[in-house]
Amino acid sequence: MRKEKRVTDVPEPAPGGAEGASGAEGAGGAAGAVGQRWTRADAEAKVRGTFRYTADEPVGRVCYVGLQRASRPHARIVTVDTEAARAVPGVAAVLTGADLYRALGDRLLCGPAFGDQPALAYDKVRYAGEPVAAVLAWDLATARAAADEVYVEYEDLEPIHDVDEAAAGGPFVHAELRPSAVFGDLAHLSGRRETNVNYEYNLRKGDVDAETAGAATTVRGEFWSPPTHHVPIELPCTTAWPAGDRLEVLSATQTPSYVRQAVAELLDLRLNQVRVRSRPLGGSFGSKMYDRFEPLVAALAWLLRMPVRMEATREDAFLVTTRHGVAVTGHMSADADGNIVAAAADVRYDTGAYADIGPRIAAKSGMVACGPYRMAAARVRSRCVYTNKPSAGPYRGFGVPQVTFSHETLVDELARARGEDPAAYRRSHLLREGDTAAMGTVMHSADFVGCLDAATAAIGWDTPLRREEGPWRWGRGVAVGMKAVLTPTVSNAVLQLNQDATATLLISTVDMGQGSDTIMAQLAAEVLCLGPGQVRVVAADTDVTPYDTITAGSRSTYHTGNAVRLAAERMRDRLVFLGAERLGVTATDCKLTAEGVTSSSEQRSIGLPELIHGHFGARGTTLTTEASYTTQWVPYDHETGQSPRVTEHWFAGAVAVELGVDTRTGRIRMRHVALAADVGRAINPTMVEQQLIGSAIMGTGQALFDYIVFAEGQMINGTLLDYQLPSIKDLPDKITPIIIESPHRTGPFGAKGVGETVLIPFAPAVANAVREAVGVRITSLPLTPERVLAAIRENANGGTAA
Amino acid sequence: MTATTIEFTVNGVSQQVTVPDDELLLDVLRRRLGYTSVREGCGVGACGACTVLVDGKSTSTCLALAVRADGADITTAEGLPPGDPVIGSFVEAGALQCGYCIPGFVMMATELLSENPRPTPEDISEHLEGNICRCGTYLEIRAAILAAARRKAVTEA
Repeated sequence: MRKEKRVTDVPEPAPGGAEGASGAEGAGGAAGAVGQRWTRADAEAKVRGTFRYTADEPVGRVCYVGLQRASRPHARIVTVDTEAARAVPGVAAVLTGADLYRALGDRLLCGPAFGDQPALAYDKVRYAGEPVAAVLAWDLATARAAADEVYVEYEDLEPIHDVDEAAAGGPFVHAELRPSAVFGDLAHLSGRRETNVNYEYNLRKGDVDAETAGAATTVRGEFWSPPTHHVPIELPCTTAWPAGDRLEVLSATQTPSYVRQAVAELLDLRLNQVRVRSRPLGGSFGSKMYDRFEPLVAALAWLLRMPVRMEATREDAFLVTTRHGVAVTGHMSADADGNIVAAAADVRYDTGAYADIGPRIAAKSGMVACGPYRMAAARVRSRCVYTNKPSAGPYRGFGVPQVTFSHETLVDELARARGEDPAAYRRSHLLREGDTAAMGTVMHSADFVGCLDAATAAIGWDTPLRREEGPWRWGRGVAVGMKAVLTPTVSNAVLQLNQDATATLLISTVDMGQGSDTIMAQLAAEVLCLGPGQVRVVAADTDVTPYDTITAGSRSTYHTGNAVRLAAERMRDRLVFLGAERLGVTATDCKLTAEGVTSSSEQRSIGLPELIHGHFGARGTTLTTEASYTTQWVPYDHETGQSPRVTEHWFAGAVAVELGVDTRTGRIRMRHVALAADVGRAINPTMVEQQLIGSAIMGTGQALFDYIVFAEGQMINGTLLDYQLPSIKDLPDKITPIIIESPHRTGPFGAKGVGETVLIPFAPAVANAVREAVGVRITSLPLTPERVLAAIRENANGGTAA
Repeated sequence: MTATTIEFTVNGVSQQVTVPDDELLLDVLRRRLGYTSVREGCGVGACGACTVLVDGKSTSTCLALAVRADGADITTAEGLPPGDPVIGSFVEAGALQCGYCIPGFVMMATELLSENPRPTPEDISEHLEGNICRCGTYLEIRAAILAAARRKAVTEA
């Protein structure tokens, strides 16, 4: 493994383009595969539209699902009248939540952290839009139309919408807490009543109150990051059908292994009775994972013994999961020398009506809520809170962007209060290799300083800036992000080397645009000295591809990548052994090269096709190896959050922004954003750059305009007419992606993931630049023109901006 | 609901279908005829994933009634010829991530280049404003369209 740190500043995008960020120079085996810009698997089919996504797979005749949804946020279900719906010509069946509960009992209650969510509500509804009855028809339009003919009588219950009111008391969304069997450390919460707080994570280091009392400078803030939505353009689609004593499921999911387990438990089947297939996804960002439409469709198909298909509309997709709205109350203090002596964060995650993975998000984000800085004392209380809204779950960043908005605002204000440059101040106090972070884990391969320096240098941080141009005010801002990779997890890989020296890789990692099919092929090809197109990845199929925890949390390059690397190394060793035998030399004399197995002493090689053909005495044969890669942690202490090994590795990134604010309208124009991420090692620099640039574009929406509006529990902008997403006209004028390579000692060729790294500090970098440009500190996202203008006016009137 | 028999060509192949008057062109192309490049992303004409050319004009098929396409000449991304400069430039520029929205962009680019063979980056942004790529591939898409324009100019010269 290379020890040096490398900063790869990619060629700057030409005006109106990013030629430097693309390119198709595939390299042959001799040049190595890692670090090459191989083009994506299936690129032409995807461009032309002939590539088959989940909904395009042939499934034969299916019965479509139409859903009757709750019209109120919190109500007891008195009766569900399905007679009229059943009478609609073409309707095959109508099932209510009560029907499913009669058949499945408490197994109907699904969820990754808490078993609290029924596929259809059966006793009460907990959010407006919750499915109450499913209508099945052999025609989609009929199913949807007939669903409107289901009549539900409700007895309204008092709803609770505000996360802080819900944290403080009732009404209660659930009668009692029901942690699932997935996470053993949640078991103690079982049966707890009269609370909406389903999980509380605590971090304690030192004495925050004493340190704060003795500090020279303290800054405080109240922060709000609103609920947002993933909006991958591919809509959810799930089909299931019984096949003898088995159930087949074809679903657009990032988590096929999880879905197999969940469906088997739901229907009381053995794992080998459930087959879950996924296809490469048309985007996901966390929206297509864990239990989405799979429990409903699987239950309907199994109970009715029919092929059943749910094709979501965009409105359905908005209701199935969201990103947590998060409130943070925080403060940060420095002594007279500027050392950070204390930081604190009280974090409230609004998880909506069902916990989903919210408790995990509250913990994983809570542990970094004070930021990537050296500090004497830290205190975090991070709670996951039920309210009567659609469920919130994982979304690119896993809750960390919301707490980063808090700590990156506070550290910025702390620097300003001390009269120091915000970048220089961060540089003095950022965690470095070997430092111990607030939760007790020693840092390795997390080059915050390198990212900070590269991002600020790219936008010319230390160069003069013309601050005023007519109504425009210009400023620069920076922010740093820190996230732990999901730990512990499991990945497996099976590698088949075909007799013609091509390879087939069986993994359950799902390519959803991040390019994992290409990355994994490059990793195997590097070890086996193969070239572009010689390694193909099989789409996830639980009958065929081995267990993988999830494709999420930027974990696949490291974890599945390591399993792939190990499987390939075993294959290499086997080939060397077989080759030495054939060449009549010792294995230590041989190595695998692009020519095949080569003997150093005899200067002879045998090609792989000849070698494998000779070994089996047949053409078309396959050699198989497999490998597993698992990670371990030391669970954090329940009282203090402390752990000597809370994660396998860290993601470190920084974003620097130069922007202007139009003081007449509050509109923001980003002139230059630079994004630096420590990726360990870039397996495919083009795909790393695409993740960085893609994060900047998604981050632009989250920083400036993208949020879900609820009114009395009703989602009122859950369509793409009303929900604004970044288009090509919302781009910053210039985007500079910067790859920092601080190799991880156990990453495959030093690599780590990058999918979330620079989305995490994006919004606070923008807010910090606005602070610099117009002198107002805005602590609620997004930074809409209205909000910016109001803050400017309030500031001009001598008030305090919020 | 009345049904109407309509005739049109898709990618040069004549088709005759009988459709209810409220059936969308999107559903006819995707569900009946199997053109998988035509995709519902929003159902309200706001994302561009269902874009095809109807008589050379970009059309959101999620808002278009199929009966209105009677007699039309429709082109989908599948129907662009082998060696098409837009397809080739998108592949070479790496102008895709998940790829789901890309055929819609390809059709918008095809329309743009037929109307404006030498578009500026600003022209491209104006024309593609209604298409959403959630992975954020806009820079590569813009570069691909500029490259396709150059390639077309060379081919046609």
